[in-house]
Amino acid sequence: MGELRTMMQMLKMSFLTRLEYRVDTLVATTAVFVRESMNIIVIYLALLKFDKINDWNVDEMLFLFSILFVTYAFVVSIFADLRHFSDMIRGGRFDRLVIRPRGLLIQLILNNADLMASAGHGTLGIILFIVSAGRVGIVWNATTIMYYVGAIIGGILIQGGMFIFFSSLCFYFVELESVREILYWNMRKFAGYPISIYSKLIQGLMIYVVPFAFVNYFPAQYLLRKPDMANYNELYMYIAPLVGVVVYALAYVFWRISVKRYTSTGN
Amino acid sequence: MENIIEVKNIKRYYKIAKEEKGFWASLKSLVNKKYEIKKAVDDISFEIKKGEITGFIGKNGAGKSTTIKMLSGILYPDSGTVKIDGYIPYKQRKQYVKNIGVVFGQKSQLHWDLPLIESFELMKYIYKIPKKVYEENLKKFVELLDMEDFINQPVRQLSLGQRMRGDIVAALLHSPKLVFLDEPTIGLDVVAKEKIREFIKYMNKNEQTTIIFTTHDMQDIEKVCERLIIIDQGKKVYDGTIAEIKNKYSNIKNIEVMYEDGSKEMKTFDINKIPMNQVMEKLFTEESIKDISICEPEIDGIIRDIYEGKIELNADTKGE
Repeated sequence: MGELRTMMQMLKMSFLTRLEYRVDTLVATTAVFVRESMNIIVIYLALLKFDKINDWNVDEMLFLFSILFVTYAFVVSIFADLRHFSDMIRGGRFDRLVIRPRGLLIQLILNNADLMASAGHGTLGIILFIVSAGRVGIVWNATTIMYYVGAIIGGILIQGGMFIFFSSLCFYFVELESVREILYWNMRKFAGYPISIYSKLIQGLMIYVVPFAFVNYFPAQYLLRKPDMANYNELYMYIAPLVGVVVYALAYVFWRISVKRYTSTGN
Repeated sequence: MENIIEVKNIKRYYKIAKEEKGFWASLKSLVNKKYEIKKAVDDISFEIKKGEITGFIGKNGAGKSTTIKMLSGILYPDSGTVKIDGYIPYKQRKQYVKNIGVVFGQKSQLHWDLPLIESFELMKYIYKIPKKVYEENLKKFVELLDMEDFINQPVRQLSLGQRMRGDIVAALLHSPKLVFLDEPTIGLDVVAKEKIREFIKYMNKNEQTTIIFTTHDMQDIEKVCERLIIIDQGKKVYDGTIAEIKNKYSNIKNIEVMYEDGSKEMKTFDINKIPMNQVMEKLFTEESIKDISICEPEIDGIIRDIYEGKIELNADTKGE
């Protein structure tokens, strides 16, 4: 209960901060929205030429994208503080968390929420969902809606887990931006397309190492049932929402182990 | 009074990578890195009683911050033990930190863009401060520190003195038994310093708060602290009252000599070695002296002499 109220206060403070800089907030949100939209428009135009990629048509691809944007809209605010975690360690701000009677991770969640990025990604995600969801032939009933919600939560947890994992590494190595850049952002770019178009190596990475496939590909497969699913174990579709819980739990365990290093080795 | 803090033989060493100069040397260090051991804290022990105000001083890099970090649970000692109010800080973190407050003068914990009051509200939730206690404390602190005028202003618009008062309040809202103030007067003007000193004394007297205070300002120590611990190169070199240390060095006299051409010179004498009459005799034989004034050693000067190694502190000077 106390945790929830602390998080609500942090969210309130993030909101108030944005209100302090109204113009900046508006400009930044628009900028994120326009930037991401341009990417989608370029891809959309290219896809019109191809018609289909591995049997996925344009609307189905947009649906695949929409999951990526909707989940990231949550991730970017909930786990905002973890994006610059190495700065936090180097600047000594992490010490402050250690001397407060709360879990260390809980104090980072929703702190400095990046509401502008959330609004930008979220708006685009919803637009893509509205445009595509009606045209891809999904029957929306209680089961599919529940699955969809579960998959979104799972996707948030998977990406949050990855953020936690990369942040934990900061306890061992000071500078890690480049590793995270390669693994997280490149894989995220790959995740915009059905993974079946990639080499076995990249598919493997996206399923077992940086599991973006469970954020959007397998959930979309559950709802769309495209023929390229035959390449993978059918089970993957059903467990997609659960993978989030597992990834998050593993990342949390790794975080706990790594945090111990901080107080024992110092800075 | 019983002890609130018991520190026994704590040590903390850092491994620092040796930077080698030159291209080949730095290439070699990629494979075979050499380390130097820096003894940040080297076998320090002390005890502090409930309700004491203790000043912690030492040169930059003497080991003060590392000691404070070990006491507040941020760092493990490499060896030795810390026991505070029945807890081992670095092992029982969550339980322990409920009862302490920490102010890092150089690192604000206030939310830069928001009114001060929002940061206080966050403390209320983080420390689960009961509503009544929170409101009482807030009202009292705001009054004592004259904060009515700026409590609703964004922190970025506050002066350093106002911000520091805000930081101190944020660290004390949950009524901690023990407070660490790490350079709370750094960079402040005389008035702001005085206000903070008065407040610290008030908290100690009226709330029986135990206070540990680090500073480079000897005025802080003289006006606020009863007890002084001096740390140098990771070791405790003095532990006792301020009166004692002054007494101890009352044999050191500083004589300011003014020559006829107007130039001044400061001479230091130890009257245990050269009695004053001999000093005077020697001085009067010099012709060009216009005036002399004898100054009692000030705490500032004594501390400077200790830092510079002019005064050797040995076991018997470590007052109990």
